[in-house]
Amino acid sequence: MIELRNVFKIFAGRTAVDDLSFTVPRGEIFGLLGHNGAGKSTAIGMMLGQVWPTSGEVKICGHDVQTNRRDALLPVGAIFETPVFYDYLSGARNLEILSTYTAPTSRARIREVVEWVGLTGREQSKVRTYSHGMRSRLALAQALLPKPELLILDEPSDGLDPEGIHEMRQTILRLQRELGLTILLSSHLLNEVEQLCTRIAVLQNGKKVFEGNVADVKSARGKVALKTSDFAKATKLLHERGLITAMELEKYISLAEGRSTADITLALVAAGIPVDGIWQHEQTVEDFYLNLIKPPAAKK
Amino acid sequence: MFLAQLKNELWKLFGKKRTYIGFGAFVVAQTVMLLMFKYTRWQGQFERLLAGNGYLASDYISALTVALIMLVPQILLLMPLYVTLVGGDLVAKEAEDGTLRMILSRPISRVRLLLVKWVAGTIFSAVLVLALGAIALGFARMLFPWKGMFVVGELPHQIFALFPPGEGLRLYLFAHLFMAVNAVAMLSVAGMFSCFNMKPAAATILALSFLFMSMVMEHIPFFEAYQNWFITYHFAAWVLVFQTPVPWPQIIQSEIILLAVSATAFVIGAMAFQMRDIKS
Repeated sequence: MIELRNVFKIFAGRTAVDDLSFTVPRGEIFGLLGHNGAGKSTAIGMMLGQVWPTSGEVKICGHDVQTNRRDALLPVGAIFETPVFYDYLSGARNLEILSTYTAPTSRARIREVVEWVGLTGREQSKVRTYSHGMRSRLALAQALLPKPELLILDEPSDGLDPEGIHEMRQTILRLQRELGLTILLSSHLLNEVEQLCTRIAVLQNGKKVFEGNVADVKSARGKVALKTSDFAKATKLLHERGLITAMELEKYISLAEGRSTADITLALVAAGIPVDGIWQHEQTVEDFYLNLIKPPAAKK
Repeated sequence: MFLAQLKNELWKLFGKKRTYIGFGAFVVAQTVMLLMFKYTRWQGQFERLLAGNGYLASDYISALTVALIMLVPQILLLMPLYVTLVGGDLVAKEAEDGTLRMILSRPISRVRLLLVKWVAGTIFSAVLVLALGAIALGFARMLFPWKGMFVVGELPHQIFALFPPGEGLRLYLFAHLFMAVNAVAMLSVAGMFSCFNMKPAAATILALSFLFMSMVMEHIPFFEAYQNWFITYHFAAWVLVFQTPVPWPQIIQSEIILLAVSATAFVIGAMAFQMRDIKS
């Protein structure tokens, strides 16, 4: 559905996107992660033909965005971080205006979409009277109007309250479930990405530093949580015996190659150190991401 | 589809309050000028000028005469301001507000989008000029009779002419057609700057600076022989319709130059718009 191949973007001598390549297959919810300035929005801009790549190829549904923008963007809907509309016009008028930039859209279709996003009854009100949540719904409505196959969401939960974030998350899942859309999601909310995405790519300084399945990230060998009355004494002993390689936060240990939690338990019990609990800590996307983007010196 | 896009562009343009600043300013300015003409010695000067040339002042101090008198300073000063204000907004305001990014996530080409905006701006310019003329005439008619038209002064061409009411009205309408071309040229220059990566106010100021610089240079004696090269020189073509005989070749030449300037500004703007990156 989306294919980026060796894409570079240089702004005034500064490389914003550096040899970026990835593909998003049909039906997937793909997360694009990275700190501010990592190149996420530039990459999305290039997918939408708003930013011209310095070199490389960007294809949507097999169409090159640079040379065949019209066909490439026909099946695409997009939402940006801060939903902006013509505040002095009604929600319905905004939808009518935006739809004409794609294809003629019937009033029935506008009504259908308004109902889908839950704005029925407020569509004739001026957008300036809308709350942030309602604007987000209107943004979703405009993205859905052309019956897209691909949705590109650039920080869709930005500025929403926890209830709004939850609602947006449920909506994204509903979009994929009910409409079968392929979704590319750029977000700072790693918890949200973990719950929504099937695959992620992490950008750092314009470069892709990771691409893989969320399930793999979560099941990757991670830390072991150890609960004991004397963590310092326990880890000193385990370290001396070569059973662990690192510890952190008075709670986690990293096992040495070939060692298991049973080995740890046996060693501690034999030394008379009580073990209140020991379990494999499931790595979250947040743990993974933070570890990935840490400067090398800070990594353990 | 183009018409649907144009209709929506007009909704956007005429839906916002700042579009009406120009119309409001014209009403205020014309009311002030009308009252000043009626109740100060201004009217007396015109009466003496007519009488001095052997004409009966009461036959020519009319709605048409006063409307034209009110029109001149507004065409020179206010119209460029309000037209470039809208022209400067064409692309830059949408870029500043963030709506441009939403539009350009759709499969419309940038040249097509700019064309729709430019046509909407052209319609606005024509409506503004027509409204200016209609308001001036309507207001003047409230205090002055429907009689012959007297045209005098350096406007900037030296003119002293008298017309019966019917012919006066026909020429008055004709003049507005050419004023609309002026407005389109001003809007195009501002629209061109608006296509570059800058704030709407900057685009307006640049366009006004360009126009004022042209006007100043046109009036420097050294450049007298090169007046034809300045856009503001051609803005005066509308006044020529009141000359007898009407110098049509000169008017047509000026109109073609103004249309060519508009087209050139559009092409430069389209190239800049097409090449630039649109970022949040």
